Amino acid sequence: MSKHDATANRIDLLQGTLDLLILQTLQWGPQHGHGIGQAIRISSQDALQVEHGSLYPALHRLESRGWLSSDWKMSEANRRAKYYKLTPQGKKQLLEEQSKWKQLVRAVARTMKPVQE
Amino acid sequence: MLRRFSRRRSVERELDDELQAHLDIETKLLMDRGLSREEAEMQARSSFGNRTRIAEDARQAWHWIWLDRFSQDLRYAARTLLRSPAFTVASILSLALGIGASTAVFSIADTVLLRPLPYPHPDQLVWVANRFPGAAGPEFLASPDYVAWRRDNHVFQQLAATQAHGGETMLLNGSKPAEVHAVRVSSNFLKTFGVHPELGRDFIQNEELPNGPKAVLLSDRLWRNRFHADRNLIGHSLTLDGQPYTVAGVLPASFVYPMDVRVDVMTTLSVSPTASHHDRMMQIWAVYGRLKPGVTTAQARADLGPLFARSRQDIPLMFRNDTSRVIQPLQEHRVGDAQVLLKILIGAVICLLLIACANVSNLLLARWSARSSEFAVRAAIGAGRRRLARQLFTEAGLLTVLGCGLGAALVVVMLRGFVHYAADELPRLSEVTVDARVFGIAIAVSVLVTLVFAGLPIIRVGRMNIQSVLQESGRLGMSAGFRFTKRILVIAEIALSLILLCGAALLLQSLWHLRNDHLGFNPEHVLTVSIPLKGTKLGTMNRDSLAAELVDFARRIPGTEDAAQTECTPLSGGPLMATFTRSDRPLPEAFHRGYDAHVCGAGAGYARASGIRIIRGRFFTNEDLQHPNTVAVLNETAARTYFPGEDPIGKRILRDPQGRWKTVIGIVSDAKNRGLDATPGPEALINGITWPDATQLQLIVGSIADQHTLERAITAKLHSLDSGAIAKFEPLDQTITEMTAGPRFNSILVASFGAIAFLMAIVGVYGVLSYAVSRRTQEIGIRMALGAEPGLMLGMILRDGIALVLAGVMAGLGAVIALTRYLQAMLYDVSPTDPVTFAAVAVLLIAAAVIAMWIPAQRAACVDPIVALRHN
Repeated sequence: MSKHDATANRIDLLQGTLDLLILQTLQWGPQHGHGIGQAIRISSQDALQVEHGSLYPALHRLESRGWLSSDWKMSEANRRAKYYKLTPQGKKQLLEEQSKWKQLVRAVARTMKPVQE
Repeated sequence: MLRRFSRRRSVERELDDELQAHLDIETKLLMDRGLSREEAEMQARSSFGNRTRIAEDARQAWHWIWLDRFSQDLRYAARTLLRSPAFTVASILSLALGIGASTAVFSIADTVLLRPLPYPHPDQLVWVANRFPGAAGPEFLASPDYVAWRRDNHVFQQLAATQAHGGETMLLNGSKPAEVHAVRVSSNFLKTFGVHPELGRDFIQNEELPNGPKAVLLSDRLWRNRFHADRNLIGHSLTLDGQPYTVAGVLPASFVYPMDVRVDVMTTLSVSPTASHHDRMMQIWAVYGRLKPGVTTAQARADLGPLFARSRQDIPLMFRNDTSRVIQPLQEHRVGDAQVLLKILIGAVICLLLIACANVSNLLLARWSARSSEFAVRAAIGAGRRRLARQLFTEAGLLTVLGCGLGAALVVVMLRGFVHYAADELPRLSEVTVDARVFGIAIAVSVLVTLVFAGLPIIRVGRMNIQSVLQESGRLGMSAGFRFTKRILVIAEIALSLILLCGAALLLQSLWHLRNDHLGFNPEHVLTVSIPLKGTKLGTMNRDSLAAELVDFARRIPGTEDAAQTECTPLSGGPLMATFTRSDRPLPEAFHRGYDAHVCGAGAGYARASGIRIIRGRFFTNEDLQHPNTVAVLNETAARTYFPGEDPIGKRILRDPQGRWKTVIGIVSDAKNRGLDATPGPEALINGITWPDATQLQLIVGSIADQHTLERAITAKLHSLDSGAIAKFEPLDQTITEMTAGPRFNSILVASFGAIAFLMAIVGVYGVLSYAVSRRTQEIGIRMALGAEPGLMLGMILRDGIALVLAGVMAGLGAVIALTRYLQAMLYDVSPTDPVTFAAVAVLLIAAAVIAMWIPAQRAACVDPIVALRHN
């Protein structure tokens, strides 16, 4: 995961964050791998560029854990693609990850404050 | 497994597809932005990154990786096992022997002793008899009872009778006369057992009537070998014992007779529908019934109650109060005697399996201990406990699979060999198949044990203090804890093999006694000659002059000690079972029990020909033979039983129906007239014939001449009298071999268990000690560097081992004394707690163990201190 990006303004993803981002993206509905990558990039306003090398293994990992299920459907590009969607278990996991994330953000923020002051 | 593989392939394809879809979508988007297809594709690919790598990472997420890692583990395990061939071979052999031998032996025992006979609805078949306690052959049905019960019962579909004592031999006349083994059955026999002739027809009812037509069914083997499977034979006639018989049909090749006798031809008994208890002669039959569907043995017993009561009323002297009727499932009846052997075999199988498992466990433990530093290193460079566990289990698993595979091969080889070797001695061996239950249990136990002992080190690995193990170079890290377990295992192994060896030794001793002890005669160079008379030209001659001519001829063959006509041999009592009467005592009541004696007619040369000793008085002379049925010679048992404290010589005994008595002139030594494993019965030899209607003439010839020379000469002489005559020659020692087939079978079974157990125990001792030496190499090196003598080191190691062996022997002896009394029923002339046998076995075991220890001990004594100190 400690892969350095060529572009300086892009942020390396924290370990485990990618799972959260994927689950978060999929709560709006089924999407294929390409679309998920695009969605994360767009919603982070290009700050987060998901490596394909991380994205696909992550998708398969989440599927093997039962948080995602998949289906082959026609894509907008008129090609069959594998669409992922959240399972009920995945939704529960998303809620958990969200609250964990919030805790983490709060904790990091608290730690950072004294230095800034 | 296959499905998993195919699923795996489809997942691969899907992953590939998915990534391709990504590229296609990306290409499409780029083309929408105005790039040409080639440019778009190239850009999509380059922005995507290393596709193979991504695919591989994605695959990692799934468990397929497990399989890859497994094959990696497997390769590693195979390499490790190959690196220590001694350990590998010893473990695999132990497992294979444990699994293979126990399964093979048990399969044989199961087929011979336990498997239901191959008849349809075997649960309906029962053994029906009256039990007369105390009488010889205590369970049978007399002919009048059979006829009445068959006619008047309400519970049987069929009730069939056969000869009570197996079969008889008949002479098949023709251009090449031959002896065939015949059984006689009632006409409904095949219907009872649900067997249909392969060719031709079953017997019909009037073929069993005393004067009915005679018919015969041929065995498939006889029909093929002698009659070349000629179908035209059916309905034709052939001559048996000089009488014409119609060939009714051919029995199926798969046919098995319910008694363990050879069947070449099957013909009918003479069943008189009017048989009564008041007839002068009753016949004794073995009776098998097929119950009507749904009828239980208890119901059948109840139904036969009134019939039994009627028989008892008819002849109360025979049916005393202790007489009872027996209705027993056929399978149970057959298994009865085999129970003891079976239990012993199960015990032996358990012992052997335990030894095999102990051996493997020991080897595994020794090995893991020796490898503790390797584990420590692997743990130190980051191998998780689970990864180590997987590695250990893979190795253990590989061992088990190889062991089981070899075990299975061993089973097949052993069964083939056994069937080849013993096919003639035991019935139904051709049906032997691998017993899947025992094989399954053996494999399950082995796998369980291997896994448990493979698992032990894993617990240790978890607790292992990596640093300390690495510092001590792995020699002490884990080994100390297993030392106790290993010692217990070796002690158990030795104890178990001692049990098996003692059992085997006792059985072998019984066998030896059966063959060689107190026979009362010397079976070597004694030949019996049986000449079938019925239906031959010889049969029409005067029997006495024929016998005299043949005896005279045999006497003149160089090397002959003596020859005689006889009705018995030292191994078989006379044909007549008579009531022993004395002229100076009142006659015993009819249907008495306990005044029996075998009576056998014998010629003057009998004593010298058979080699029995004359203890007092004299034997018959040619003079005596001129006045038949006037004198008698008793065996020791008869003299002791009927003349306690008296001198029988000169007394008059054995009144015949005409009121004539015979004078006792001598006493001869006892011989095994009731079989090898029974005490001799009282017997009287008389100078005459007890059974003038006998269908054969029997001679006994004691001669040091070559058996084949004798056979050729006597056959030539017979042919000069009757060109169609045949004779059967049987040396007495061969008869003994045949009679001991059963005990020999038992002894060989247990002895083979004992031998294998012994080998494995020795391997176990060797393994543990040689491991101990290698573990202590450094210590020994230091001691030697400090001036210890090599002899001292040798003694130290040996002491260690001998302590183990002695502990095992003690534990084993305790168990043996408790267990061998279950062998009692199979022992003859040996006490089940024979101290000499036990001591001999213990000494043998200790001696063998010391030899096994010598090699590692010697190695310890030869340790070069410099090498030893650099050992790690």
